[in-house]
Amino acid sequence: MTSQVNHRAGDAVPPLERRIGLPDMIAYAGATWDWHRLHYDPEFVRAAKLPRPVVDGQVFGALLVEQIQDWLGPQCFVHRLDFTFKALVFAEETVRCEGAVTEVGEDHLLLEHRVVVVGPDGEVDRIAVAPAHARVLLGRADGPGA
Amino acid sequence: MTLLTDEIRALVGLKRIYTAPEELGAAAGRYFGLAVGDHNPLYSDSEYARAQGLEGVTAPLTLICETNQYADLPIPPDGYAGHEWGIELPGTRKVRGGNSYTFHRRVRPDDVITATWEITDVTEKTTRSGAEMLIIASRATYTDQQGGLLAENEETIIFVALEAGK
Repeated sequence: MTSQVNHRAGDAVPPLERRIGLPDMIAYAGATWDWHRLHYDPEFVRAAKLPRPVVDGQVFGALLVEQIQDWLGPQCFVHRLDFTFKALVFAEETVRCEGAVTEVGEDHLLLEHRVVVVGPDGEVDRIAVAPAHARVLLGRADGPGA
Repeated sequence: MTLLTDEIRALVGLKRIYTAPEELGAAAGRYFGLAVGDHNPLYSDSEYARAQGLEGVTAPLTLICETNQYADLPIPPDGYAGHEWGIELPGTRKVRGGNSYTFHRRVRPDDVITATWEITDVTEKTTRSGAEMLIIASRATYTDQQGGLLAENEETIIFVALEAGK
């Protein structure tokens, strides 16, 4: 957790790395009431000519919020978040959420992120999500509509 | 071949409204946190949440934009029981473009969510390889049982022609 006065444009947001296994994807399907077979059914995936079940892309929004809140602590509120998909991510791959501060306001931060797939050597294999941006309100645990 | 037909243009303004049959519930938020690996106590520890000035536990922020819980739809053969426009364009593949969320407040367990989906724009572009591409832009507005704004979700779905130049 950091305090507002310490932030500067260019500062890195601590990365969040997560391996997404098939059990995680099945749990996510249940938690979101989204049981699309693309995310867990080998037969459906083979018919779609894909190598493995596809990670639901919307989970990356959840991971970006987790990354931001883990960094800034409970007294922050992600007011806006946008992200663009670049490539599919498959079961058992590891992704890393990366980010940096682009603007420091009196009561907010602007952040730019991307989500990359990490290869076995720890290097970036491909970009899954980019660009992504967040506007984070500081010094408050809830949003302007609370 | 153009993907942007009069029939597609006429979709702009189309709306679908879903109201959840019950409150979201605290378990929905706790389950989502567990599923994505986000163990933030804001979602599971009401004492901790109150110490932060909240009324109690809240759902992970993006849950409202990711869940189909409110839709109360049957499970079709492909398993997807969420909102869809039912647009089928032969000779194309459908891909997700991205999402843009605005959150107005944290969603609480006693919120009854209404989602109002609307097609806001349809545009046609050509990919670098010359393939026609149709972009459908939608917006979901999520409100609580008092009509208070919870979140907005702008989403783009892209239909890409399978054969370039046709």
